Amino acid sequence: MLVALSIIIDGVAYGMILFMISVGLSVTMGLMRIMNLAHGGFALIGGAIAHALTVRLGIDFVPAAILSIMTAVLISFALERIVYRPIYRLGELGQVLATIGVTFIIIAIVNFFLGSTLLPIRPPSFMTGSVTLGFKTLPMHRLIVIGAGAMVLVFLYWLIERTRFGIYLRASVDNHATAAALGINTSKIYAVTFALGAGLAALGGMLGAELLPLEAYYPLRYMVLFLTVVAVGGLGTITGSFAAAMGLGILDTGSRYLLSEFGTIVFFLAVMLLLSARPRGLLGRA
Amino acid sequence: MLQAPVISARAWKRSTYRFTPELVILLGAALAFICFPYDLGFLTRTLIMMILVLSLDLILGYAGIASLGHAAMYGTGAYAAGLFAIHVTQEPVLGLFAGGAAGALAAWASGLLLLRTHGLAFLMLSIAVAAVLQDLASKVRSVTGGADGLTGITMGPVLGMFEFDLPGRTGFWYACAVLLIVTLSLQTTVNSAFGLALRGIKNSPTRMRAIGTPVYRRLVSAYVIAGAVAGIAGALSAQITALVSIESYSFSLSAEIMVMLILGGSGRLYGAILGTLIFAVIQHVAAAIDPFNWLFVIGVLLLTVVFFAPEGLLSVPIRLIRLARGSS
Amino acid sequence: MKPLQMASVIAGLLAALVTCPSSAETIRVGIIATFSGPNAIWGKQFKEATEVYVAEHGDSINGDKIEFIYKDVAGPNADASKAAAQDLLVRDQVKYLGGFDFTPNALAVAPLITQAKVPAVIFNAATSSINKQSNFFLRTSFTLWQVSVPMANWAAANGAKTVITAVTDYNPGVDAETAFASAFEKKGGKIVSKIRMPLQTTDFAPFMQRIKDSGSDGVFAFLPAGPATFAFTKAYNEGGLKQAGIRFYGTGETDETTIDALGDQATGLVTAYHYSDAHESDLNTAFTAKLKQMFPSSRANLASVGAYDGVHLIYQMIKAAKGDGVKAIEAAKGLAWESPRGPVKLDPETRHVVQNVYIRRVEKDPQGRLINKEFDTVQQVPDLGFNP
Repeated sequence: MLVALSIIIDGVAYGMILFMISVGLSVTMGLMRIMNLAHGGFALIGGAIAHALTVRLGIDFVPAAILSIMTAVLISFALERIVYRPIYRLGELGQVLATIGVTFIIIAIVNFFLGSTLLPIRPPSFMTGSVTLGFKTLPMHRLIVIGAGAMVLVFLYWLIERTRFGIYLRASVDNHATAAALGINTSKIYAVTFALGAGLAALGGMLGAELLPLEAYYPLRYMVLFLTVVAVGGLGTITGSFAAAMGLGILDTGSRYLLSEFGTIVFFLAVMLLLSARPRGLLGRA
Repeated sequence: MLQAPVISARAWKRSTYRFTPELVILLGAALAFICFPYDLGFLTRTLIMMILVLSLDLILGYAGIASLGHAAMYGTGAYAAGLFAIHVTQEPVLGLFAGGAAGALAAWASGLLLLRTHGLAFLMLSIAVAAVLQDLASKVRSVTGGADGLTGITMGPVLGMFEFDLPGRTGFWYACAVLLIVTLSLQTTVNSAFGLALRGIKNSPTRMRAIGTPVYRRLVSAYVIAGAVAGIAGALSAQITALVSIESYSFSLSAEIMVMLILGGSGRLYGAILGTLIFAVIQHVAAAIDPFNWLFVIGVLLLTVVFFAPEGLLSVPIRLIRLARGSS
Repeated sequence: MKPLQMASVIAGLLAALVTCPSSAETIRVGIIATFSGPNAIWGKQFKEATEVYVAEHGDSINGDKIEFIYKDVAGPNADASKAAAQDLLVRDQVKYLGGFDFTPNALAVAPLITQAKVPAVIFNAATSSINKQSNFFLRTSFTLWQVSVPMANWAAANGAKTVITAVTDYNPGVDAETAFASAFEKKGGKIVSKIRMPLQTTDFAPFMQRIKDSGSDGVFAFLPAGPATFAFTKAYNEGGLKQAGIRFYGTGETDETTIDALGDQATGLVTAYHYSDAHESDLNTAFTAKLKQMFPSSRANLASVGAYDGVHLIYQMIKAAKGDGVKAIEAAKGLAWESPRGPVKLDPETRHVVQNVYIRRVEKDPQGRLINKEFDTVQQVPDLGFNP
């Protein structure tokens, strides 16, 4: 009983972090329908800048975090103009390769400036320490990530379902030409959405660094993990990604409590079963 | 706009000028052997990669299936050939058949499931299959040696005549011969009715279904053939290195060979060979100059190819020739 | 140029070519390691330590010039390692090989070096059985048995009755687990449970809960260096294990290239290992100072000292045997020298380094830098895993 409770608590905490890190990807890949393998690259950009600011320059976490998210958003804006515009028009395979190319370049640049060792971020005092729940100890860090994840989920839901921007975005994705003909500035919508995805990636990269430590090869190391969450959740749905992150988090945690010998196999077999039964993911639209 | 000249270039190539791939490979290999007699280790690895990329070309370039888990078949072939050499016989050619059969079996078993899906789901499933196999190889230590690698492989002479020597001459010509045979067989395959059906499926599965082609069965067949060839490549590497490591299943290998294929140009066999050569040479040279940052070069090259030569680097000379002909 | 002049020039060149080798040779040494990709830190540390050694000791021995050639294999990649060794042996005629960060990379060259009779000095790869694959393997790093057994003995002698092991589920992890458990049980301790964690684990919270629930006195951990170690020690602290009084026993988790990233939370972690850059000896002070001077952003760690001693060993072999591999191996057996890590000796049977293993605790030095402070020494430990 205690074990089951532990699995649920740890699983939800882990799932929330998975969601936090891959939510940016479900924005670009899920909503904009581009195969964006460079997602981890934006998480790395945010994290690397935060590392440089907090550790090397000694700036406090909160201003450093805001600054690095803003920088990541600016970089993504520029990249969207120069590199991604033509990528939208490519086929699936072209998108995969172009974004892998972008990822390689980001890795090489971070490697050049900061080296290939770990890039820790100095957390603020309110994020260290733990909270005791009687039989369990939960790190403060995780509670904050869970809170942030919930807020992001609500914010995105509101943005996409309740605002004019959301309507425009859904229209642009469903039918680009018709949306443009109706007077929607689709290229502006795409640019904003892309920057939003990159900003969320940077935020996730920083907050999730406790589990997925930042280093130059971060984008390649965890690419499969991010892709799994979005693919299992289904394209075109933020709530799907959330459900997938929770499900995978609990599954992975459970297997670690009960079957740690077969951890990775259990995880991938579950993903295989699910995707072969529902190729569009849990909540994917046709 | 972009498509028109390329398609006509292909038509032109088919109709007027047709050089035999086997001759080019043989000439190239002989030239490489004479010019770089001391780099046979590197050249042999490149030849093996060419075979692997050719197998990916069959499913990606001809049948339009983008896989990021092609290492699943390569690794299975490598382990099969390694275990075959240890437990059955040290004869290399028989080992190749064992590797090919294991690769085909892995492709058939996974393909039955995978090929019902496409797009992102297929991509993820192909990754998952390779990941599960890698984990298994790491786990069954008593059989595979785990993360230390499968050791104790000793190979007999090829065809009972050619011993594997220290400078790697036997290994080089052995790999070269296998590459030739594979290219010839694939050439025949893609030019057959089956090959045409694959191209048709790539362009429009719905249309092919409408004219009565069993699309799913054709795709599974293509996947099994590609699996066999990938298994042969894995077997070659196992025999030449005399060690199999779990990295044979690695995701980065799957991703790398896809990059090689696209650099050269998918959908044509020369593209696979050329792309592998370009990638290997750049990696070799750039890694010697500045190993820490050679990834940057590959990244830029990838973007350049995707944007400016989407048919691969091989399309550039063909287009240039066409341009020169048109102007004269 | 007239034909006659031409002929004389050519004759002169030929004469130079013929006479050159007898007076002074160039002896080439091939270093095979990872210089690119996520594990590039190994090659970097190897290369820097090699250059420090050369800067200190010169690049010629008895008039022969020593030249190092570096080959990148981009990670654990047996195929690349074998191909690199082949090309080094055939084209560059190297007389010695060095490097080898990962076990498969070392194992792949075993048949080659045996055939070519070229000694290969392993700077890192820590599986005991490698040296059995060829009589031309020498090793200046450590094996997991060599450091895990002293850790177990120390834990047993210092109040631990029950320990739970948590290792990454791959060969080195299993090696460490077996070594620790067998030694600890021999001393009368009890291994409560053996956890094997999947290689891809990112979230260690579930394992921390299991360790905590086990109620044992301590946890012995082994994980690959880098992100996994980082996440594990973080989880150890935040999971409340320290407060619950469960002690941490490790080996290389607090190595000098990760310790800064771990930060203050690493303070107090106890490990058994063969090298700390804070080892107190004149030689080590000189070594770390020279490294700092040549590469200001670097810190010496196990890879640095493995390479430094490996190059020392190669220099000694060249002194004794020039390029004759068989003679060189004989000369190397039993060789003893002072290393930055302390006194070491090459075991004639295993061709593996016999060395002190130090029990260390993470502390802050007067400059506020995190270091592994050695406070206890187990004298001259051989490779305990060669014939376990």
